[in-house]
Amino acid sequence: MIKIEKGNITNKVDELFNCSRCGSCLAVCPVYRKTLNESFSPRGKLSLIEALSKGVIEPTERLSDILYTCTLCNYCYVECPSGVLIKDLFEAVRLDLIGSKKYPKILDLLKEKISNGKNVTFDSNEGRLDWVKQLPGVNPEDLLKENAEVIYFVGCVSSFSPRAFSIPRSIIKLLKYAKADFGLLGEEEWCCGFPLLSAGMHGEAEEIADYNIKKIKQKGAKKIITSCPTCYHTWKHEYPKIASEKIDFKIMHVSEYLMALIDDGKLKPSPLDLTVTYHDPCDLGRNSGIYEIPREVIKSIPNIKLNEMEQNREQANCCGGGGNLESINEELAASIASDKVEEIEKTGADVVISACQQCERTIHTQLRKKKKELKKKVKTWDLTELLLKSIEAKGE
Amino acid sequence: MIADKKINKLKEIVGGDAVSTAVEDRIAYSYDSTRLEYLPDIIVKAKNAEQISNLFKFANENNIPITPRGSATGLSGGCLAVNGGILLVMVEMNKIFDINTVDLLVDAEAGVITEEIDKKARKFNLFYPPDPGSIKSSTIGGNIAENAGGLRGLKYGVTKDYVNSLEVVLPTGEIAQFGAKTVKGVTGYNLKDLMVGSEGTLGVITRATLNLLPLPQKRASLLALFDKLTDAAQTVVDIVSEGVITSTLEIIDNVTINAIEDYLDLGIDRNVGAMLLIEVDGQEGAVDIEAEIIKKVCNKNNTTSCKLAKSESERDSLWSARRAALSALARVKPSTILEDATIPRSKTVQLIKAINRIAEKYDIRIGTFGHAGDGNLHPTILTDLRIKEEAEKVEKVIEEIFKETVKLGGTLSGEHGIGISKAKYLQMEISPETFGIMKRVKKAFDPNNILNPGKMSFD
Ligand SMILES: Cc1cc2nc3c(=O)[nH]c(=O)nc-3n(C[C@H](O)[C@H](O)[C@H](O)COP(=O)(O)OP(=O)(O)OC[C@H]3O[C@@H](n4cnc5c(N)ncnc54)[C@H](O)[C@@H]3O)c2cc1C
Ligand code: SF4
Ligand code: SF4
Repeated sequence: MIKIEKGNITNKVDELFNCSRCGSCLAVCPVYRKTLNESFSPRGKLSLIEALSKGVIEPTERLSDILYTCTLCNYCYVECPSGVLIKDLFEAVRLDLIGSKKYPKILDLLKEKISNGKNVTFDSNEGRLDWVKQLPGVNPEDLLKENAEVIYFVGCVSSFSPRAFSIPRSIIKLLKYAKADFGLLGEEEWCCGFPLLSAGMHGEAEEIADYNIKKIKQKGAKKIITSCPTCYHTWKHEYPKIASEKIDFKIMHVSEYLMALIDDGKLKPSPLDLTVTYHDPCDLGRNSGIYEIPREVIKSIPNIKLNEMEQNREQANCCGGGGNLESINEELAASIASDKVEEIEKTGADVVISACQQCERTIHTQLRKKKKELKKKVKTWDLTELLLKSIEAKGE
Repeated sequence: MIADKKINKLKEIVGGDAVSTAVEDRIAYSYDSTRLEYLPDIIVKAKNAEQISNLFKFANENNIPITPRGSATGLSGGCLAVNGGILLVMVEMNKIFDINTVDLLVDAEAGVITEEIDKKARKFNLFYPPDPGSIKSSTIGGNIAENAGGLRGLKYGVTKDYVNSLEVVLPTGEIAQFGAKTVKGVTGYNLKDLMVGSEGTLGVITRATLNLLPLPQKRASLLALFDKLTDAAQTVVDIVSEGVITSTLEIIDNVTINAIEDYLDLGIDRNVGAMLLIEVDGQEGAVDIEAEIIKKVCNKNNTTSCKLAKSESERDSLWSARRAALSALARVKPSTILEDATIPRSKTVQLIKAINRIAEKYDIRIGTFGHAGDGNLHPTILTDLRIKEEAEKVEKVIEEIFKETVKLGGTLSGEHGIGISKAKYLQMEISPETFGIMKRVKKAFDPNNILNPGKMSFD
């Protein structure tokens, strides 16, 4: 058997010991709640990481299967009375598992796609602006201008997945309405690297971070905005840890930027007679601490009614779409999403608003699957789509 | 090690999916909240009582121990497979059958998470009163096996007061029913109550019928600060003497307050000797009168501040310190040892003072908070058990706390049980005669000592 070489977790024994095995995390972990298998719970995972750090067990396929079965939603951390830095420990052990070559093989494919194509799909990176094509009155060339104040970092899913195109399209329209000075990187944008980082493939991710930072600097932008919460989290919290390049510009989630435009009177929402609920994406909420701004954007729309889900903000349940879980265990991810959909239905909302293309897709798929069981049809929109509808609605 | 042939036989009994011998699973099922570890040989996920019955027959024939396990939030090591063998996981038996809104009963499988029962009851304007701190993660079976208490103990009692009847698989394989679904019932020995608090040593609880209560109409919450611990403790005694039975009467001492301030910075004066979180519930008018009495008692005992919550959000903020107590203490040092020494209510001051004396003597931090209303305190020792001298010191500290507790007419464990953690102290409190009959009861239920061996210093 292969011994751990790098031994990242051997440096974390103190943190591992902080877990008192109190079991509070069992109550909130979506993976445990669905599997009822202690090995897959946060507490169980930590016990296994501890055993690994002490050399009691060796890395095995089963161990890696267990440790990668996680949406990285970080709810366990919020619930943990001892404040154990659980995600740090998961990250460290994944580095070791990659080092020992015991990791889910599906990750090799991911690495190949990102290393070769610079995005998470099989498509060529030249297609990064395909979504702009059907946008009337917009010339892709204009969007690539130098020295724009703001760069919109679109992210892989919104750039390549047709289902998500309406998000960047809405953003472009909103930015144009607000007469913002903005640009894009186009095919020079690379995947933010999070899929690699979370898999434990740091070397590759570091290179990407440096590249992306350099590109923004070359463009001379003062700010970047992202619509993907994971890109946001990576830029804001991961890049400073892994990149050699210094970040000297501001990083904002699109909801923050749009709210500022509304506050400045540059965007004027018109009334919408709708009842909505808001789903906190894990990477925007728990992992970045942005809970209120997306709600403020919603509430800036006259007449709209926001019904909160039973669990919201720090206690919001994950949609199941995070942390590569879908590629590791599709059925489990779907079953987590199914619970989320039930929670959404209970709010009586016409539309569930999310601020993440991945959550939107996961929830939408599940809503469609459960169509027959649901009392009424619930739509899924991104926050930017909602705002655009309001801006384009005729005032009363 | 258990031979493959036997494991195959086991798979026939419970189904292949329900059995694991993988080392990863054995590790993840080796601990509970004591953080002690014993590797089981086999993990079995129970599905129903018949299966468990067959499992016992197999285990008796092959002399393999069986240890029942709920969510492993136990604080005395009860669900640890100290002699290896089969660890019987109950969490997949998690159906709530029905709520009887006329007789105020709920019928549920043993693996249901306690909070789920309460949540379901609330839909019918009822509630399940026992509320252990672990209510969101522990199972009802584990609660019954430990006779779990909670914050509402003074007024509403503990788990035993809500167990109506039980389905139990005996260690010899029979499936038995204990108790009757009536308010009263005296047919034969009260074996139902014997099961409550038996720590998984007399039988495996598979299903329980529990009593529910109507939700109180109104609730009042107060937070009172005292410069002196003695004043706070006197308040506790006086409130009850005035005839007010509070639903919550929690005390938080100075060490804990300081830990909470370090953690959350709530702006509580760090010199406060102790604070009390008090709640009364019941009928509209009665609650207001009781809240007034409580205020008066607090004033008489020199409270420096006594706040009554005017809204749900104010109640929330009054609770924030109490809610954070354990988290705050847990962050001070790597190891947090939560004890549950329990004394008659009138002895609260003596015990807290004794604990502080012991803490000083051994130069160790102990934060004390807990259910002052029913004398159930949680002295919480903050340490690092990896350091040998610290671990030895902790042993002595615990022993001294127990000695003081027993001297004050108290008990070793108000709610966490004996298991293995307190096994060696058991005979400090109970007489040889009592211990002797307990052993004979165990032998009568479990002649081959198959079920949960190695606990309560029985063997
Ligand atoms: C943070 C925290 C707070 C806590 N607060 C409280 C509190 O306020 N009050 C309190 O009383 N306790 C408290 N506890 C202790 C613990 O939660 C309780 O003892 C709880 O009842 C254990 O339930 P469990 O499902 O986790 O059982 P486990 O720990 O799995 O098992 C406990 C015992 O019950 C036996 N058992 C489990 N299921 C069955 C069954 N179906 N049939 C027969 N035996 C069974 C086991 O063999 C073991 O001996 C707390 C623990 C923690 C970690
Ligand atoms: S991050 Fe989420 S899914 Fe992963 S262990 Fe924690 S609670 Fe469970
Ligand atoms: S909540 Fe924290 S301390 Fe408790 S078991 Fe989970 S990780 Fe460990």
